Amino acid sequence: MHGVKRTRQSREAEEARKLKEQAKLKDYLLLTEDLLSRKKKKDWSKEAFDLATKLLHSNPEFYTIWNYRRNILINGIFPSSSVEEINSILSSDLSLTTSALKAHPKVYWIWNHRRWCLENVPPGPSSPTGEQTQGWRQKNWEREMYVVERMLDADARNFHAWNYRRYILSLFPTPPPPTQELKYTTHKIESNFSNFSAWHQRSKILPLIWEKEGKEREEEMRELEFDLVRNALYTDPNDQSAWLYHRWLIGPHPDPILLTREITSIQELLSEQPDSKWCMESLVHYTLLLISLTPETEREEMKSECRRLLAELAGVDPCRKNRYQEISERLGV
Amino acid sequence: MTSDSELLVPLHVAYIKSLGENKDDLVYHMTAHLRLNAIYWGLTALCIMNQKEALDREEMIGFVMSCWDDEAGGFGAHPDHDAHILATLSAIQILVIQDALDRIDIPRVVKFILSLQQPSGVFAGDSFGEVDTRFSYCAVNALSLLGKLSELDVEKTVAYIRSCKNFDGGFGACIGAESHAGQVFVCVAALAILDRLDEVDHETLAWWLAERQLPNGGLNGRPEKLEDVCYSFWVLSALSILQKLSWIDSDKLSSFILSAQDPDSGGIADRPGDMVDVFHTLFGVAALSLLGYPGLVDLDPVYCMPASVIEAKGLRKSWQALERRSK
Ligand SMILES: [Zn+2]
Repeated sequence: MHGVKRTRQSREAEEARKLKEQAKLKDYLLLTEDLLSRKKKKDWSKEAFDLATKLLHSNPEFYTIWNYRRNILINGIFPSSSVEEINSILSSDLSLTTSALKAHPKVYWIWNHRRWCLENVPPGPSSPTGEQTQGWRQKNWEREMYVVERMLDADARNFHAWNYRRYILSLFPTPPPPTQELKYTTHKIESNFSNFSAWHQRSKILPLIWEKEGKEREEEMRELEFDLVRNALYTDPNDQSAWLYHRWLIGPHPDPILLTREITSIQELLSEQPDSKWCMESLVHYTLLLISLTPETEREEMKSECRRLLAELAGVDPCRKNRYQEISERLGV
Repeated sequence: MTSDSELLVPLHVAYIKSLGENKDDLVYHMTAHLRLNAIYWGLTALCIMNQKEALDREEMIGFVMSCWDDEAGGFGAHPDHDAHILATLSAIQILVIQDALDRIDIPRVVKFILSLQQPSGVFAGDSFGEVDTRFSYCAVNALSLLGKLSELDVEKTVAYIRSCKNFDGGFGACIGAESHAGQVFVCVAALAILDRLDEVDHETLAWWLAERQLPNGGLNGRPEKLEDVCYSFWVLSALSILQKLSWIDSDKLSSFILSAQDPDSGGIADRPGDMVDVFHTLFGVAALSLLGYPGLVDLDPVYCMPASVIEAKGLRKSWQALERRSK
């Protein structure tokens, strides 16, 4: 159980609660027993479908009942329905799971059922000339984007919602351009710099854009990214999110000129925030990178700067002092 | 000693034993979909506290076998519930701990597990196809315990895990997903079982994991999130597989876990003052075992089972826990 406060109840209060619960418990057990026995008998009726709705409403984690619900649709309801009807049944199941998600935003099984519904939406009505359209699919996908945005408004770090968002984007009948998704992450980051989920999404979207737009545009856009992340670092130098993103932006094989420029910029921030762990930690990381790009004979000064920072880090961030010591030892005396 | 400095073993044992006795409680029935998992969590916690006999062996094995879904060829979480890879792994883990694997039709279970692998290499949880690197771990762990890893397409399995790796060294639930300590554990442990830790960027990942520790000693699962006892295990197990447990402050973490105990009725919660559950009780005790807490039994962080059980099967990998303290 996550985030449920412990309350101390007297034995009497506890007994009273259980007694009050008895009726509810009896209904729940009867409904469960009824549905599981219908399932065994392969009862694919509308009645069973409605009972499943009721049970899932009180317990959305009952995965066997979600499975049964899908089997009723596949084996009992869809075969006797027109495509129009199938589209409308799936739309109403999507609505049902929308309200379930509002109450239980982190239940895997609900998100899972949503995916199944979406994947089974028929493409669209036939046009007057008999051609297949994608109308229903497009409409449902657009609705999903809307729903997932509301979920991310409620909790901007919900990883179920972010994973679902990426899933929808990857299967959109006519997908929005990646620049639109980039805009969305900008909006999320600007409303809260410490939303690492949005920075992460940026690290996945930008390469797609850069691949399309060429090297020159990539360089321009990279500079804008440095501006954005610098702004975040100056706003709160203790927030990990922007530092992690900065590390992505630098990458494992940076250009030494760029690397030197960023090191200088972090040194400036450190002079304003002399205790900043993340400034020091990042300086060590980038200086080590720079050392690997520097001829053997010119490394000593940088090494001793790293050792000095590592010693200071062990003081301001004692939880991780063994790590700092280990890196320092690797650098040699 | 106060509850903040001592693991309340007798209370936790009593708490776990009491879990099966709440049949007049609505919550007991509302969590039936996790029953087999809960038995595995409780049994493993008891083993780590050296109290394996506190739950009746025959009754437990009987219950596990009553969860067999003969149509699918796997285990559901409860009698009459559908087979799922999560419940199937729990069933196998319980039977291995109880030395009762001979009760199951191994070739059928292997067939069920292998049938869940997708063309991309990831595993689905059941026939409806939800995919997640958690399920890849379940498959790898279960096949290894059954001695049937040779039937797995290792290259394909590893390829999917590789595609979930992020720049921060961590892993997500699926391609494109953000790194998360739980997913890091399942991916690193699966790679450890497959002897493919060369896929992990050790230095970067150990750094990311060490940065999960917050000033109060607890560990979070992602940057800028709150601490939670269950992450203690996921982060610690990954760190012990990477042999970097010393990169966090183990005393502060131990104190945090101990402060999340219920000093009156036993059990451990996600954080101090919250309701306890068997899930956090196991992961709290498991983390303390890896941290060398005195009197506990060694836990294998790769399989999340007693280390002696894994050693007896010849499956031990080269993880490293902190040395057990004498007091
Ligand atoms: Zn937790």
